[in-house]
Amino acid sequence: MNAHWWSKSLAGIVCGFALALGLAGLLAWAGPGGVNAINKTQLVMWSIAPLWLTALSLVFLFPTGRQAWAWLGGANLVVWSAMLLTRAWAV
Amino acid sequence: MRTDIIRTYKAVHTWTGITTGLLLFVAFYAGALTMFKQTLQRWSEPVSLAVAAPIGADQLIARTLALHPEFAKDFTLHLDGPARLSMKQSRRDTEPMLAIAGAEGDIVVRQDRSSGVDWLVDVVHRTAGLPVDLELGTAITGLAAALYALALISGLIILLPSLVKDLFALRLGKNVKRLWMDAHNLVGLVSLPFHLVMAFSAVVFGWHDLFYDALDQGVYQGRMAAIMRISNPPPPFAGDKTPVRTLDVAAILARSAEIAPGLHPTAIEYRNFGTKAATLRVVGDDPRYLVRGHGFLSLGGTDGAVLNREYLPGQQGTYSAVVSSFFALHFGEFGGDTVRWGYFFLGLSGAFLFYSGNLLWIESRRRPRRGQVEVPSQNRSTRIMAGLSVGVCLGTVAGLSASIVAARWLQGQFLDVNGWSRAVFYLVLVLAVGHALRHGAAPSAPRLLWLAAGATMALPLTSLVLGRTAAPGVDAVALGAGVVLALSARKTARRVARGPIDSVWSAARLEKEGLQS
Repeated sequence: MNAHWWSKSLAGIVCGFALALGLAGLLAWAGPGGVNAINKTQLVMWSIAPLWLTALSLVFLFPTGRQAWAWLGGANLVVWSAMLLTRAWAV
Repeated sequence: MRTDIIRTYKAVHTWTGITTGLLLFVAFYAGALTMFKQTLQRWSEPVSLAVAAPIGADQLIARTLALHPEFAKDFTLHLDGPARLSMKQSRRDTEPMLAIAGAEGDIVVRQDRSSGVDWLVDVVHRTAGLPVDLELGTAITGLAAALYALALISGLIILLPSLVKDLFALRLGKNVKRLWMDAHNLVGLVSLPFHLVMAFSAVVFGWHDLFYDALDQGVYQGRMAAIMRISNPPPPFAGDKTPVRTLDVAAILARSAEIAPGLHPTAIEYRNFGTKAATLRVVGDDPRYLVRGHGFLSLGGTDGAVLNREYLPGQQGTYSAVVSSFFALHFGEFGGDTVRWGYFFLGLSGAFLFYSGNLLWIESRRRPRRGQVEVPSQNRSTRIMAGLSVGVCLGTVAGLSASIVAARWLQGQFLDVNGWSRAVFYLVLVLAVGHALRHGAAPSAPRLLWLAAGATMALPLTSLVLGRTAAPGVDAVALGAGVVLALSARKTARRVARGPIDSVWSAARLEKEGLQS
């Protein structure tokens, strides 16, 4: 098994989870009904698994491990900035 | 698509599949049975609770509370079957206290130790047959489900380039491996939505605590509990112990029918009965909607005011309804019996998917005889995997059938039927795996198939011997399954004796290697 395999898997697990958490957070703060909508926390929690596992599944499409980290890291930067901004604006 | 990407995904598919296939087989086979766990329970315990209650539900509540005031804080009145009360010590209590009316109208209170088979099937499903407690088992199953989601998506990616060409091809030629591969791909692709739902939801069931913790820290700034409380405000008069009469059962059911005409009540859950703080949950089913477990309507105990309809089928808010649909899609709780049968067969086809996946793994590592006189010996890893596949899969089938039969025979014989029927399951499973690993897959496969056939046939035989059955459908399905298993046993025995010698499935090879069992 080549080195990329581990690097990509790790990128999918770590960055993929962070990305899923960030997107779930975006749904929580910016999604319809605002953060306090009835029983919204449950859907926010449920959204993590499919988002994370989709990211983890597709990470092997990157030719190299480095690219996987770079792209997922970049996506995290964008998503988390957006989430933190909407949160700051909402609070 | 580039071939190196396809090659990477083949590796992902192989590794995720082979590491989780056996666990998933157990979870899916037992999961298919959970669709009918109440029916199986009724089959295994036909006599219990069969007496009609001689007193009304309100009388039952009043007399029970007179004897056991500790019930008042939290108890359930069951409306399916004879009226009875149950009280759980905790949310996960599998052996609640039961209060039933005797023939004279006297109240009998005992611990419910009879919830054997439905509980067993459920536990085996959630722990994937591992002998660990439910929480750890569900977490491990959740991990397996995450890898299984990877296996599903990688399998789809591998299949994409040749999708149109290969999808409905079922090449019934000489190449048996090709046939198995075609069947594996066809079943996998056709039931992909079902499998994605199962994979994602099982991950959530196993890891929701972790996800909530991460959300609380990363997203909600530690205020998640407060935000959740907004959705679940405390009921009015919470903690107010002033004695006030709680609504009687007829009034509660009338109120429920008025608010939710489609809900068929199966139980009423009471909190703080007889006080100002009393609350009620009318629990029931409405087959027209995707329901989370059971739907329920929360009412105030003294005035019947609606407290919460977020879990009431058809009257939920959007977010609650979406989450309910995830639960319903996992548990097949919509559309009544049609969907239940559909899920039963989808579950079994899932079990087939993992079994065939293991066979393909073994087959693609086979060392064929190419002209040379000497029969090549097969890899150690494929020998072990073949043994495990046969032992775990057939052991699970035989073990569950045997434990269901045991639950019926042991009824009234021992104090703890629960523990005994679970012990029977593990005994059969461990013996099957041990036998298959020790003697090899080839001689074990037909033997274990016969064992599974026999254990499954024992269900209708038991009903025949005892001269009665509470669920004839169970006997009929078990008879059919037993026949299929017996036919498989005969066919497998033939292959073991006369099949290609350069395979883990040939007994002749074992003789040659001096490993005869």
